[in-house]
Parts: sequence; C-alpha cells; structure tokens
Amino acid sequence: MGALVVLAVLLTATVLLGVLLQWRQNRPQRHISHEVVDLERLGADGLGEIATLLQFSTELCARCPGVHRTLAAVADAHPGVRHLNVDLTHRPDIAKHFHVLQTPTTLILDKDGAIQTRFGGAPSRDVLELELARLTGENADV
Amino acid sequence: MSDKIASPKGIDPRGPRFAAGITALLLLIDLFLALTGLATAQASDGTWLITQASLAERVADPAFLLLLLTALLFLWGMLSPRTAPWGVLYRRVVQPRLKPPTELEDPRPPRFAQGVGLFVVGIGLVLHLAGVPLAIPIAAAAAFIAAFLNAVFGLCLGCQLYLLLQRVGLVGRQRELTA
Repeated sequence: MGALVVLAVLLTATVLLGVLLQWRQNRPQRHISHEVVDLERLGADGLGEIATLLQFSTELCARCPGVHRTLAAVADAHPGVRHLNVDLTHRPDIAKHFHVLQTPTTLILDKDGAIQTRFGGAPSRDVLELELARLTGENADV
Repeated sequence: MSDKIASPKGIDPRGPRFAAGITALLLLIDLFLALTGLATAQASDGTWLITQASLAERVADPAFLLLLLTALLFLWGMLSPRTAPWGVLYRRVVQPRLKPPTELEDPRPPRFAQGVGLFVVGIGLVLHLAGVPLAIPIAAAAAFIAAFLNAVFGLCLGCQLYLLLQRVGLVGRQRELTA
C-alpha cells in the first residue's frame, strides 16, 4: 500500500515537472542583461538588419535540429531577420560567457546586436513570431 | 560555427521515445519491487535488513535483478543503438503502422542519454551490492523521471544538461580553442 502511494506521488510529480518544463521553454525571458553580442567572437559575419535569432546548440542535443528548422523558417519568412547557429560542444568559453546551461538556448538580438529576449529549450513557432513582432514593433515606434 | 548541424544519419525520433516509454515502465516496476523488497526492508528495531544480508542475498533481490537488466539494456543502447531490443521492436512492429516521420533526428543525443541512464542506474546497483539501503529505489526513481519525461514530453534531461555536466567536468574534454 505504501509502495503504491510512493509510485503515485512520483508519477504525479514527474507529470507536473514535465508540464512546468514545457511551459518554461515557451516563456520569453526579457529581464536579462541587454549586452551587445560580439559576433566576431562567435565566428559570424553579420547581424540581421532588423533582428537576429542566435541559437546555441551542442552535438548531443536532441531538440536542437528541430529548433534550427523552426528558427530558419521564421527567419526566411521575415526579411531582415537572420538566424545564426553556434555549436558550443567545443566552445565551453562561449557557453560560460552567456551562462548557457541547457541547449537549445535562443537569444533574440535587436538590430544593434543587443540581447532582448532569451528562450531556454524549444519554443514554439507562434511564441517566437509573437516575440519578434513585439520587438520589431517597438523598434518601429521609436 | 556552422549554419547546419552535421547529422551522420537521421533516425526516426519516435523510436527513442518509444524505447524510453518501455524503460520508464520497467523502472516503475523496479521501484515497486524495491519498495517492497530488501532495499527498503527494516527490522522491527529500525535497522536495515540489507546491511546484514549476504552478497548472494543482495544479488538475488528481484529489484536488483530487474535494475541490472535495465542497466544492460542501457549499455546495449549505448554501444549498439541499431540492434537494441526496443529499437528493433519499434522498427519491426510500431513504425510500419505509423505515418513516415516528418523529420529525422541526430542519433547521438539518445545514445548519450543511454549513457546517462547507465551511469545513474549503475551507481544504484553498486551501492546496493555494498549494502547501502534505499540505493535502488532512489536510482530507479531518478532514471524513471528522465525516461518518463523523454517518452511523454520529448524532453531529454541528459542532453539538455550536457553543458552543465561538461562544466563540472563529468563529460567531454575541454579542447584547445580554435580561433
């Protein structure tokens, strides 16, 4: 009897943890340091004219290829938006600099290369589009 | 820096999730066996029975044997993912009944995850043999959480935390930086 209670508690806790993790990866983090990213250090040649979707991946990341496809599709659908993917497998220095503890992690940079939004995990396309619209809308108003 | 992630050969991502589902079920059964068996049994005065059990009794514990089987399956999945039983079962029985996969996945992350599973479960097995109480239920519960999240939510905890593991030095070598 006691064993079954433990199993039920574990099952419930795991489901709740899954729901929480799922929810968190669709939640944009905006209250972060808006540092301007040094693209040269990442090996990239330039920013998008309006915004840049900067993705951090590793070789051992199950969801990175899927997020890569989503971000590439978003960038294709919006002129001036560029998608960059940085493989951190052999670059612990970059991972440390941006405090990346999970991959995929996606940063949305504005036209000046300053970090505006951060997503940990695999955000849905809708959430990304919404965040991009919010950022570019703000830029247009200024 | 690369614009495209190199993937040697893509696999159907539903395969590892199917396997994780069976693994999660095995681990849940194992947890039940552990909670009703030697790993958690106490005498009336509160001492753990496992501390007085012989090595043979510790090995013969059903929870130990089932977790050992799970560990061997993790090892198999890590060494030869293509021939691992649940993968074969998926490709022979389940996949033909499903639509073709909409996208293929890199086979390396699930393989890495098998290694993480083996590591967690292995610690439990060794501690159990050494006579530590609760080692098997804790290891089985931890592995269950990871396997269940993978099967149901598609989350791969070991993969997500790769960088964290790398930073504390558990995996990977910090190679010389290439400019």
